[in-house]
Amino acid sequence: MDTDEITTPERDAKGARLTRRQVLIAGSAAALAACAPGGGGGTASPTAAATGAATAAATAAATPAPALKIGMLLPFTKVYAELGASQKRAADLYVKQQGGKLANRTVQFVYEDEANDPQVGLQKTQKFIEQDQVDLMMGIIATPIAYAIRNTVDQAKMIYIGTNAGGNAMTRETTDCKPTCKSKYVFRTSFSAWQVSYPLGEWLSRKPETKEFFLCFSNYGFGTESAAAFIEGLAKNGGKETGRVAPPLGNADFVPFVTQIKAQATKNVYSFFSGTDAIGYIRAWNQLGMPAAGYKMYGAGFLTEQDVLKEVKEQANGAITSLFWSVDLDNAENKAFREVYQKEYSLLPDVFAVQMWDGMKALDEALKKTSGNTKDKDALIAALEGVSFKSPRGDFSFDKSTHNVIHDIYIREVKTTGGQTVNTVLDKFGKVTDPGK
Amino acid sequence: MSFDLVVQQALNGISFGALLFILAAGLSLIFGMMDVVNLAHGAFYMLGAYVALQLVQLTGQFWVAALVAPLVLAALGLVIEPLLLRRLRGRHLDQVLLTIGVSLVIVDLIGLVWGREVRTLPYPPGFDGSIAIGGSAYPVYRLFVIGFAILLAAVLYYVHRRTAIGAVIRAGVDDAPMLSALGVDTDRLFAITFAVGAGLAGLAGVMAAPAFGLQPGMDVDALIYSLIVIVVGGLGTLNGAGAGALLVGPADTFGKVLFPEFALALIFAIMALVLLGRPSGLFGRIRIGR
Repeated sequence: MDTDEITTPERDAKGARLTRRQVLIAGSAAALAACAPGGGGGTASPTAAATGAATAAATAAATPAPALKIGMLLPFTKVYAELGASQKRAADLYVKQQGGKLANRTVQFVYEDEANDPQVGLQKTQKFIEQDQVDLMMGIIATPIAYAIRNTVDQAKMIYIGTNAGGNAMTRETTDCKPTCKSKYVFRTSFSAWQVSYPLGEWLSRKPETKEFFLCFSNYGFGTESAAAFIEGLAKNGGKETGRVAPPLGNADFVPFVTQIKAQATKNVYSFFSGTDAIGYIRAWNQLGMPAAGYKMYGAGFLTEQDVLKEVKEQANGAITSLFWSVDLDNAENKAFREVYQKEYSLLPDVFAVQMWDGMKALDEALKKTSGNTKDKDALIAALEGVSFKSPRGDFSFDKSTHNVIHDIYIREVKTTGGQTVNTVLDKFGKVTDPGK
Repeated sequence: MSFDLVVQQALNGISFGALLFILAAGLSLIFGMMDVVNLAHGAFYMLGAYVALQLVQLTGQFWVAALVAPLVLAALGLVIEPLLLRRLRGRHLDQVLLTIGVSLVIVDLIGLVWGREVRTLPYPPGFDGSIAIGGSAYPVYRLFVIGFAILLAAVLYYVHRRTAIGAVIRAGVDDAPMLSALGVDTDRLFAITFAVGAGLAGLAGVMAAPAFGLQPGMDVDALIYSLIVIVVGGLGTLNGAGAGALLVGPADTFGKVLFPEFALALIFAIMALVLLGRPSGLFGRIRIGR
């Protein structure tokens, strides 16, 4: 039975809710019909995998090197389907740009649907390892899935390049490896929760008028980690939290929570939401007249990314957020990337596309150093660790000890100019490294 | 919590309950009349919202969308009942499976046609602001939803109690085979009932869209809430849908704000308590011989 529920194209999800809701539906339905149904009218199709070879078939030049098989674990159904589609577009486009090859090897993608379910993600990972015998693995949107597959790839010595899931523990040393911990085989090109929210806290606490914050954040792993990192940053210059309210992930009605915010005195509000939740929150914020009452919104960059701004437009004006990229970022790589992406797909790239694009680029650079060799894992890991290039987000490299990305974090403000609502860069934190060891 | 804050949150809860009433009324009607647990109700709700989005994009008129989208859903109900559901009359498990299948098809088609990104429907003109209530600003649209739900309840009550078709519906709820034996065309009656139920789901989708947005997964949330409402309120009765919505809406709002960790558990605790005291729900009647 295939049931979906979380109502937000969010960055990370709590997989456990699936099962709970499934049981609820089945239970309620059973109470109604005298017969016991099997549960759940869901949103998603029980589609299996989209398996595809790379576009742009290699030309006649017959190279002796075998195809480079990359196992891509992405969501193609359910709430994160759009994020999976975005990353697939970026991967396909990157390889197409290289004439279908990385180093001397023709790329063959094996796409599998992780269906936003850690169990499914684990099964597909085992399939990549045993059945497809891929050379390496990439992808994964939701943190619980990345945590679920960590031990499997570590034991199989399968190199995995994470392109979204941002839970801090994935690239940190943790006590007894709980809930998970870094692995020499795991790299991450996206971000850690800490990397996005800590700099904003530190930056804001420098000014006397932004030392005290009320917190409103999605109540799930990634939201909680982000809020904690923000408070840590605030504390750097003597700032602090005055109170908090935490709506459940995928909450439909945000007016009650904004009502709570309005009933307290702290005007600065750290707000961690993304996708649907961010849109609902910002609309409720405006409907209750928060800007006129002097309240200001701050948050991790997902609060005001394009998927959200497209719907809320100038209602988000004045919000200050932090992220490692913005579609308008002024650098040559970003311009070139935006151009090829728009030409190919007639739409603007989003931050998820950048994360995958950089993953492909990092792999490409590393393979050049190993002359396309993926059999010698230690050599490939060393090559990846040494990768450094100019990405659409700025300077890109890996932390050699944790394998997490090191990148600049931009502090941005939402502004509407000439009918376009965009994130304007206010300031930059250079080379932000996760504190994990 | 100050008194003012309690009033605000109570209004939030009641307006959420008002939406739940519009949603649950259709599900309840179909169950009461046809003895069918329509698990595609959430998908009908979602489709109503997306059809409204399309209509707003085409015409720029929220009110046109609010009128036409429910009619589109009613037409769909008019097709689905005779084509699919009628063949399985009396086979409860098969009906449940069929409606799950219908919901999967609808939801995937929505994904194909409108994409899987988050969308929003603008508030109708004049309803996007707030008015002062007890010194605090309160969103006009939510007050409108409360008013609309009361009006809808009055209309449904009148039709149900005071008209010939209402009498036939009540007779059908009590004993459909006898009604059929008396010469009423129950096939036609069931098709119309299903269409009205689907139309109400579509209407709820339109009304909810400006406040809650449109996204994958909204169908399941709607289905769960509407099932809870009609189980609490009493299966298949209009009063039940109203009472259930008025209880579940505020309980959900206060629960989420005051005990965020236990909000969902609170709703189910209420459901369990009600069922312990009144096994057929607040306004339900125990039925024998089904």
